[in-house]
Amino acid sequence: MKYLHTRITEVTYPARDHALLRFAAAAEDIPAVPGEFVMIRGDWGCHPVLPRAFSLVESGAHGAVLVKAIGPGTQLLESMKVDDELVVFGALGKGYRIDDSGLRPVLVAGGVGVAPLLFLARELAARGQRPLFLYGAGTEHDLPLADEIAEVAELIITTEDGSVGEQGLITAPLQRALQDGADSIVYTCGPNGMLKAVAGVSQSHNTPCQVALEAPMACGMGTCKGCAVPIPDGSFKYVCYDGPVFDAEVIYGAADE
Amino acid sequence: MVPLMSERLRTSLGPLTLANPFVNASGTYGYGVEYASFVDVARLGGVSVKGISLLPRPGNSPPRTCETSAGMLNSIGLANIGIDVFLAETLPQLRELGVTVIVNTFATSIEDFVELAARFDNETGIAALELNISCPNVHAGGMHFGVSGAAAAEVTGAVRAVTDLPLMVKLSPEAGDIGEVARGVESAGADMISMINTIRGMVIDVDRRRPMLGQKMGGMSGPAIKPLGVRMVYEVFQQVSIPIIGMGGIASLRDALEYLMAGATAVQVGTANYSEPGISLRLADELEAWCSERDLTVTDLVGCAQGD
Repeated sequence: MKYLHTRITEVTYPARDHALLRFAAAAEDIPAVPGEFVMIRGDWGCHPVLPRAFSLVESGAHGAVLVKAIGPGTQLLESMKVDDELVVFGALGKGYRIDDSGLRPVLVAGGVGVAPLLFLARELAARGQRPLFLYGAGTEHDLPLADEIAEVAELIITTEDGSVGEQGLITAPLQRALQDGADSIVYTCGPNGMLKAVAGVSQSHNTPCQVALEAPMACGMGTCKGCAVPIPDGSFKYVCYDGPVFDAEVIYGAADE
Repeated sequence: MVPLMSERLRTSLGPLTLANPFVNASGTYGYGVEYASFVDVARLGGVSVKGISLLPRPGNSPPRTCETSAGMLNSIGLANIGIDVFLAETLPQLRELGVTVIVNTFATSIEDFVELAARFDNETGIAALELNISCPNVHAGGMHFGVSGAAAAEVTGAVRAVTDLPLMVKLSPEAGDIGEVARGVESAGADMISMINTIRGMVIDVDRRRPMLGQKMGGMSGPAIKPLGVRMVYEVFQQVSIPIIGMGGIASLRDALEYLMAGATAVQVGTANYSEPGISLRLADELEAWCSERDLTVTDLVGCAQGD
């Protein structure tokens, strides 16, 4: 856990309305596993008040996060420049638990959910694996970092409008991949509807699946109790410290429920 | 760096003396222990812990938070670990860390408030008890104690009878006459007043055409409510003689100075903790420098904006 007043060291624009912000980690590296996140806020006065949660794309001597400009906070972050000040704390939460039993890794990303999965794909590559990476988006403009993925993984793209890759949803190539017989594990991150669909396909093939959730968050570290998600037994899990990565059945229930 | 006891910053609230006037507000800093690995929590003026009830509470249906212009809404619903776990596991950690602990406590009946207070009274390491009679986010009880002087006095008096701990009562800005509530709790034996709790607000999700929060309404906090809090502290200061801990939207030194000058003897910092968990220590350092340049103490500032 680190708490940094730092500066942006590099900004790149991997797709329309997306920025990849790199920042210095100061004296010690930021230790993180893929799926862990940081809370980030710029020096922009009192609106918006809350920091924003971002999965790390990189950790170590530099941190990096992928920002898609959607609301006021992400628009401000997306427009930041090198040397702008950032308050960063992290890494936070519980990331992906990387299988070491020999299952074939299948990574399934939707849009900006690519961030922790690129980190994971690079981690797997460093272990000598070349994962299957299924990457879905609405259109060709919402596929940041696809080139970086292709360097470390076997990449299949789907778009809903067919502007690039296969036309349709990411669950179609996932069905094919899980039907081919190899024992697999699915790691996924993206919009809630996609996560539920990916978990369902995985479950129908008796394939373990880990989902990275997103929720509105204020503190990022378990104190405000804002990021509750209801689970099948009627209780709540907290995305920021029980997750953001969960075994899919914890969130969606087991097959026989 | 603020020494643990700076003469300029030390502030006295009747039976409670704080090393500096910055307390982290209940609900925005967990139990304090979560921040100990990267904030020197012992140097804070105090930590008002997440409101403790007799039984653990799971909290409200999500979404529980959303942002507003220069502020936010929350409808957490007082999710907390309950008094048993707090006393067995959390309070010993706070004692070990040397935190000035203000125990915020919440109940929906006078009997439960009394039981909580009696149990806290037996413990060591509690600097003060803060009664939350003003939470807008629970259906039963909660705020109704805080909107009438008679009801507020009744619960305060019942708790006063069972504890010698310094007693702080947290007031709601939703009282029709907050001065009447303040006078009520003073007459019933409160040692100090903290104010203001959040005020209910709503955000509509225009795409879904429904309120954004799961509970529809939530308590509004952050810089947007600061003028409301400062005005109410200014008014209540004229009506009671017990000290006031001011809060609502403090995010800078100037914000804290406004509350002190309006009549607060100490302040609580809430929503700003989310963007900067060490902000209270930074503001304490800035206040020390500000006072030093002018050869003033915090006590010199309290209520100095009153009068013509």
